[in-house]
Amino acid sequence: MATTFAPAELRALARLLDELDYYELLEAPRGTAGTALREAYHAASRRFHPDANRRLDPELRGTVERIARRVTEAYSVLRDPRRRRLYDEALGRGDGPRRLQLVESAATATQRTRDEREGRTPQGRRHFAQATADIARGDVAGALRSLQLALTYEPDNAQFRTRLSELRDKTR
Amino acid sequence: MTEVAIGIDLGTSNSCVAVVRGESPEVLPNAYGEGITASVVAFQDDDGVVVGNGARANVIHAPRTTVYSSKRLIGRYFFSEEVKKARAICSYEIVEGPNHSVRIKVRDREYSLPEISALILGEMRSIAESRLGHPVTKAVVTVPAYFNDNQRQATRDACRIAGLEALRIVNEPTAAALAYGFGKGLSQKVAVYDLGGGTFDISVLEIGKDVFEVLSTCGDTFLGGDDFDDRVIDLLADEFSAEHGVNLRSDPYALEKLKVAAESAKKGLSLEDEVEIRIPAVIEASDGRTLSVERRLGIAEYAGLVNDLILRTFKVCDEAMQQAGLVTRDLSGVILVGGPTRLPLIRNAVRDYFQQEPRADVDPDEVVAMGAALHAASLISSDQKAFLLDVTPLSLRIGVAGGLAETVIERNTPVPIDQTRTFTTFQDFQESVRIRVYQGESRQAAENALLGEFAFSGFARARRGDVKIEVTFEINSDGIVNVTARDPATGQKASTQIALSSGLSEEEIQEILARGSADAVAPPLPPAAATSGAAEDLDVDDLDVLPDLLPDAPSGDADAPEGGARAGLEVELDPDLADLGPRDPSGDLFAPSGTDLSAGADTTEEDPGASAPGSSRRS
Repeated sequence: MATTFAPAELRALARLLDELDYYELLEAPRGTAGTALREAYHAASRRFHPDANRRLDPELRGTVERIARRVTEAYSVLRDPRRRRLYDEALGRGDGPRRLQLVESAATATQRTRDEREGRTPQGRRHFAQATADIARGDVAGALRSLQLALTYEPDNAQFRTRLSELRDKTR
Repeated sequence: MTEVAIGIDLGTSNSCVAVVRGESPEVLPNAYGEGITASVVAFQDDDGVVVGNGARANVIHAPRTTVYSSKRLIGRYFFSEEVKKARAICSYEIVEGPNHSVRIKVRDREYSLPEISALILGEMRSIAESRLGHPVTKAVVTVPAYFNDNQRQATRDACRIAGLEALRIVNEPTAAALAYGFGKGLSQKVAVYDLGGGTFDISVLEIGKDVFEVLSTCGDTFLGGDDFDDRVIDLLADEFSAEHGVNLRSDPYALEKLKVAAESAKKGLSLEDEVEIRIPAVIEASDGRTLSVERRLGIAEYAGLVNDLILRTFKVCDEAMQQAGLVTRDLSGVILVGGPTRLPLIRNAVRDYFQQEPRADVDPDEVVAMGAALHAASLISSDQKAFLLDVTPLSLRIGVAGGLAETVIERNTPVPIDQTRTFTTFQDFQESVRIRVYQGESRQAAENALLGEFAFSGFARARRGDVKIEVTFEINSDGIVNVTARDPATGQKASTQIALSSGLSEEEIQEILARGSADAVAPPLPPAAATSGAAEDLDVDDLDVLPDLLPDAPSGDADAPEGGARAGLEVELDPDLADLGPRDPSGDLFAPSGTDLSAGADTTEEDPGASAPGSSRRS
């Protein structure tokens, strides 16, 4: 059954909220997915869901609700492959846990499409430009190599991926 | 005495109340011994009010003063399509209230929709009290899963007016799933097909022991059993008009008789393959003869009349299954909810669609109230036995330049949740921004439901793009939305939270409460004056006003590109900027650099809204 937290623990957790990454918040190891992830979300909800904390005083209830909202956010990010990849990449860069916006704003989406056309990182852009030049020269093997290199810098670049699979289809 | 909390299914056609005494939920029958009570309110000549099955009988004699299916109107704007449709088919008078809200006019009095619902809730409460033998003050009340924030708020207001503390607003299909799976230790996925009198919902849930997690929900708040009846009414009225040249629809008495006949034909066809429709002396012809309706209606003909309505429900089911990422064979159970699902026609269609026999061990009329009662009992006990993890049925959006609405929280995101977005101003040295919040699935702001709007000012004035405004959107576990704005530079916070543009203000609710609980037989609401300052300033006709918010670089996005925010904005908005100037009615917010800022003075008219603390939100 639900573990009850002492008020002091709840307040401490709420203060730490921005320093915990989503995995830590759900008490789930980094690789957790599928059923295990769902169970971690359920376990956290049993503790923090507002329904489970109706008896707390209003101020503390507000604190717990804040935790509950973050738990939902963590689950919404980690269960979605695209969001999770973005989140893991950001974590991997080591600049500490940051919240991932669930829906990217229209401005970001437009920027992303534009970036993906040419590449978002200097190396990605360089290898992608090289691949384009390779194709123009008719050097398919070179283009394949360049695209693979570009993708090592920007693994989530949809544009690079599409180009690579098109090229592979052609060479088959 | 131990605390008791009841569960109320506040339905379009019928309502039901249940309670848990001991282990399992039981429906509390009304004075006639019936488990369900008509959601009908009859205002009588002597100023008395009758609610329930007694009131339903009144419909035929006093159609202008008998209010039914009012749930279709709750939380809606007067100009909405749904209200237009209701005005065409309802025999009572629907008029416009302050801020484009809907009022029901009975004789010379106007009632808000929460007041009508409060009368029904009050009736359900007194049924419970007379069966339990003691007062009841707490309840879990259910709403269609697809209800938006306006409709949920209005339902909450109705509870307050009825003197009930709404412990939770729970979605009907979720409550049904709880009643079905409670205490069984199930681990399975189920679909709840909920066709009520006025609304259709489909929810897909995963039950994991004591946790009921909604994976997706979709619906149509204007599709229900009433629409099935309307098809029969149309058939009878059209045939009658062709034969006698008399339009039965224009006579409220005749229309009500048609309605009753259509409903009983539907019920008859749940049991038999053919029914006899007879309405003796339905109307008097101009020559004084009385005319009657007499006709047989077979199941095949009926199926032809309503088939497209049934298909419409499956379009919605497709969406819900796709959003849940499931196919029908993943489901271990299909639960039917709502009176119309008793029709073999619908049961068979559901069986064919889901490729399995729907559960037969669930009473479609009572299951929702029983689930609500279970949750009510669980909430007041110290040892919670079930957890409902629900989702928001509609995408939450914010209005941005160009008449567009940008998604902040997508539909079917679990709740409670919050999201913060950073925006910037539209013009240099702008003093005030207007924040509009919508729910719906269209990029065009005007095609969504406006939940409310507020002005935010007091932030540092600077060039466009240099101002940062943080807007935080919250959806709580009842599905109710809260929006606040903050200037991270000054710490200035908008003290007005989102103000519902229709419905009742806090002052109005206080006034109704002061008149005596649920005593709707009281002076009519004073016109517009009763609304709070913030709400009064709203002008929803202004939906095509270009809002002065622009999306800025999202604060949470880890990889904001160099100088990306501005560049991205221009890409996004270039097409609109061209026709911005002439059309922009918010031009008075614009004070070009180098000129004095007196133009900004115009904006102060909007500011009281922002500086009146908590003037329009109620809890």
